[in-house]
Amino acid sequence: MWLAELLGGGVVLVLGAAVVVLSRQLPYHAEYGPGPGFLPFWLGLGLIACAAVILADAGIHRVRSGKFFSAGSVRAALVLLLLAGVILLVPFLGFVLGFGLFTALTMRLAGRHHWALCVIVAVLAALSIRWIFGSWLKIPLPEGILGW
Amino acid sequence: MDLLHNLYTGFSLAFSPTNLLAAAVGVLIGQIVGVLPGIGAPTATALLLPVTFQMNPTTAIIMLAGIYYGVAYGGTVTSILINVPGESSTVMTTLDGYQMALQGRAGPALTIAAIGSFIAGTVSTVILMSFAPPLARFALKFGPPEYFALTLVAFGLLTVFGGAKPIKTVASALVGLLITTIGLDVVSGLPRFTFGTAELLGGIEIVPVITGLFGVAEVLTSIEEEVKLDVIRTKFRLRDIFITWQDWIASQWAILRGTIIGFLVGILPAGGITTASFVAYLLEKRFSKHPERFGRGAIEGVAAPESANNAAAISGFAPLLALGIPGSATTAVLLAGFMMWGIRPGPMLFQRNPDLVWTLFASMYIGNVMLVLLNIFFIPAFAAVLRIPYTILMPLIVVYATMGAYSVNNSLFDVWVMFLFSMLGYVMKKLDYPLPPLILAMVLGPLAENSLRQALILSGGSLSIFFTRPISATLMGIAALAFLAPLVRWAVRGLRHAPALSADSVQR
Repeated sequence: MWLAELLGGGVVLVLGAAVVVLSRQLPYHAEYGPGPGFLPFWLGLGLIACAAVILADAGIHRVRSGKFFSAGSVRAALVLLLLAGVILLVPFLGFVLGFGLFTALTMRLAGRHHWALCVIVAVLAALSIRWIFGSWLKIPLPEGILGW
Repeated sequence: MDLLHNLYTGFSLAFSPTNLLAAAVGVLIGQIVGVLPGIGAPTATALLLPVTFQMNPTTAIIMLAGIYYGVAYGGTVTSILINVPGESSTVMTTLDGYQMALQGRAGPALTIAAIGSFIAGTVSTVILMSFAPPLARFALKFGPPEYFALTLVAFGLLTVFGGAKPIKTVASALVGLLITTIGLDVVSGLPRFTFGTAELLGGIEIVPVITGLFGVAEVLTSIEEEVKLDVIRTKFRLRDIFITWQDWIASQWAILRGTIIGFLVGILPAGGITTASFVAYLLEKRFSKHPERFGRGAIEGVAAPESANNAAAISGFAPLLALGIPGSATTAVLLAGFMMWGIRPGPMLFQRNPDLVWTLFASMYIGNVMLVLLNIFFIPAFAAVLRIPYTILMPLIVVYATMGAYSVNNSLFDVWVMFLFSMLGYVMKKLDYPLPPLILAMVLGPLAENSLRQALILSGGSLSIFFTRPISATLMGIAALAFLAPLVRWAVRGLRHAPALSADSVQR
């Protein structure tokens, strides 16, 4: 966990530094008062200061209890990957089919449910998306190659 | 007389079939969301926000407000029956509520929670109704310096209430503020941090951020931790749910104290319902003649935090409606909703949209009556919801979160934004960076930056404008105290430890 804390502080530091550098490309002063670069510049400095305290705290206390990664992290990462894959495929599969598939696969992956139950819940989820968002709220959902 | 007349108008509108249905749907969803661990009030309101775009704004806010205070009721069921708080605001209820359930007194625990919540919700609505209009009139004196100072107070209080490590709270709030700078600068018209992407010119929408941070990230955490819910199997016959006279005697003052504490904490920017329940429980224990009973099934240990979280849920509307300043992540979502419906909460709201405000107040009475009935007579039905395996609900939460993100602009770009914030929220939770400060900062950011720049334009660039106007100077003083509080706490802790350490070293 100590290394994760250090990495977290490092990310805040890099973000703060990047914001300071990018904000220097925006005018700091406007004709009257502060310009568009004013707030981002100070926010960047604030993030750098926070990162310094977080890194110092992590360095001094060296908390070794707890683990950042566990067996469950892999499962969570797989669901996240699955979600990314479905979002990428939405233009081809369509929203209804894409997220129906996501429901079935996630139930199987995270809950190890029987395939039949996964398919039933996925079909109900897909139908509810189609009915609530497509028909009732009239939101134009992306349709895939099958026209769903 | 004005108050009674306004309330009469409010009730006549709130009792229209559409608004009654909106209140009923809101409190029912709130109750179910509260019962289900892993989905909270900010997510539920953010998910339903797009659904409300086609509604009348008054009907929409009645429904979303119903979700907010309904959640505070619903979270109690899981706290008492399975020792898992459905909501962070019901964490303290687990301490005595679950013990009561183990002793076969789940019924009285749930009933006193419902009664306490009802009394607190109703009393708080009365106080809110009397308190919010004068606050709004007072806020008419506010100019840009006062609004900037007020946002500073909110950020300062975040460090007081935000979490165990104030520096992480500050970092989280700074990231939220940074997100608000993305897009076209409203004063100069220059793009900031858009990297040539047309979709970023309009800035980052709040709904995809909230559904990602609070919806999908929460699901990912639950997948990692494999949430398993074991409901205490208890009989819920009608006679089992009634409390005894002794229970009422033990709880009545706890309910009153919880109501007052909850209301006061709830009106503070960044106070929130969770803090209210913590403070109420700890004070109740401190002032009890029998503190040793707390944690072992004391009924006042259920009554106090449950009253406080409902009082705070209602009083949180005071800063939102009268000042346009949200006090919690959920009221931040409601503020975003107001903006989308073309309504700006703040001092003028009471003059421009009195019907909306008074119908909302009236609907709170009606919603509280609905909730107390739901929570006394339909508990078995909500306990049954807990028997649905969480692994079935998880993908559904993600699917509806995605739909919520997509439907704001009908754009897959927003879905990717949600995805990115899901990852960010998941990692932030693992590293103990609190999420609500990020959302509050995102909502308050534009107000803070614009009022700062307007104030400096007014003063010709001099910072003295913040310290020479009485209201602004007072607020700046409060903000300074709030920002210094963690340092003072740290110093006091250091002083307390120093003698202990020296005593240790002498013994060695």
